[in-house]
Amino acid sequence: MRAALSFDSAPPFAAPLRFFLTAPLFGVLAGLLLAFDGGDALASRWSPAALALTHLLTAGFMLQAMIGASIQVLPVVAGASLSRPLLVARVVHPLLSGGALLLAGGLRWGSGFALESGALLLGVGIAVFLGAAVVVFRVRSTSPTIRGLKLAYVALGVAALLGILLAFALARGWPFELVALTDLHAGWGLGGWAGVLLAAVAYVVVPMFQLTPGYPARPAWAFPLAVLGALVVWGTSATFGPPWLVRLAQVFLAASGIAFAGLTLKLQAQRRRARADATYRYWQFGLAASVLALAMVASATLFPALARHAAWAPLVGVLLIIGGFVSFIAGMLCKIVPFLAWLHLQQLARTRVPSMNQFLRDDETRRPWLAHVLAVVLLAGAALLPVLALPAGLAFALACGWLGWNLLQVVRRYRRCVATVEQGRADDGTPREPDDGAA
Amino acid sequence: MSTPRPARVIDARYLAPPEPFEATMAMLRMLEPGETLLLRLFREPHPLYRALARGGHAWRTELLSDGTFDILITCGGAAPRDGEA
Repeated sequence: MRAALSFDSAPPFAAPLRFFLTAPLFGVLAGLLLAFDGGDALASRWSPAALALTHLLTAGFMLQAMIGASIQVLPVVAGASLSRPLLVARVVHPLLSGGALLLAGGLRWGSGFALESGALLLGVGIAVFLGAAVVVFRVRSTSPTIRGLKLAYVALGVAALLGILLAFALARGWPFELVALTDLHAGWGLGGWAGVLLAAVAYVVVPMFQLTPGYPARPAWAFPLAVLGALVVWGTSATFGPPWLVRLAQVFLAASGIAFAGLTLKLQAQRRRARADATYRYWQFGLAASVLALAMVASATLFPALARHAAWAPLVGVLLIIGGFVSFIAGMLCKIVPFLAWLHLQQLARTRVPSMNQFLRDDETRRPWLAHVLAVVLLAGAALLPVLALPAGLAFALACGWLGWNLLQVVRRYRRCVATVEQGRADDGTPREPDDGAA
Repeated sequence: MSTPRPARVIDARYLAPPEPFEATMAMLRMLEPGETLLLRLFREPHPLYRALARGGHAWRTELLSDGTFDILITCGGAAPRDGEA
């Protein structure tokens, strides 16, 4: 008899799934917006379209996927279960979705009301999630992953507060140092929240799914603390300290990110899974793009003249957010959604079920990945040659739409298997084995 | 780990889920109360911890410098549990 996986604390499939299925839609929207706005969108990081694009990707695509993943992984990687995960998901998902849309719309079309209400909706959604995720602070940090999760949630709160402040400052013309505050908001959001959460989850999933060696304990413990420490130094120095300390903290952050990416690439080079799968391909590309982006951040901090080139910041944004984070998330979604489908079906059927790979075959992920790579290349080109904005936007919308379509196929195959099992129960009281064709 | 290395070791560091969980539960069914088993993984297996607690087994976890989690499991709850590990 097969041992049943411990399943008591796993959230219902519907809880994370709504976030995973919504994330690619924000990518499609971002691509279409870029195609619609054309070359002006990437002419500067401060153009209305660039700000809207950035937030469709960060507060839309990334936040959806990362909150969904958090709801799913907290019991598995930290032993901390949300008390009512489905209720949390039902409340948080519309707040985040509506908030990101309003925020992006407010930035794009200059509506102060949309900007403020979008930021507030996002803030409330994040507050509800963090209120539920406080369970993780009640467990001991027995692994670098748990420490990383705790610090990532702290950073998410700080990034959200800074974002709300910025939205109100923009809408009402408050006299803030908007550039410095925006940089700090981006640092807490991309470095403290997204970067540390990525690392905390990577410590578990890279060895688990890609069969690599584990992350060595010392750097794994140190990375989340180093990132948050540098962000605190950056924030306090921006207010009270000398400017060189801000630059030092920024270079340290970029170097920490490069070190994490380099270590992950080294571990992947030692993997025991001979065949490259979708997750591996997306991660390899994402790590390379991140290293390039972070090297550009460090270079521009040390040599500020570089950053005065109008294309510099948009190029960094494309490489880090789309080349890096969107790639990591897309790769994870191609693995996690079929894994959850398999896990939930196994629990329901309590008999042999189709393998995980039959919910999403590797050949189905190859062309969407190529479309994603092509989109990133075109987007990077569009930062330099505005004429490329239209094909770049359409290519990115296509890549995200393809990813979303693949995830929908997993759900469709899962539902077909569930129907087979339930039909067997209805016929003779025993669950019927869904054959491989059912998936 | 201060405890002597037990005769039964499951090195699951390069096994994909759910093989480590299944191998551990299968091995535990063959052990007598008080016998020990060392499970080696590159992650902390919280779902397994819950199954161990339900089965009355005890465990103690140590993270080694190379990222390996050594989980010493004592069958049948003969030793004190390692807190909320």
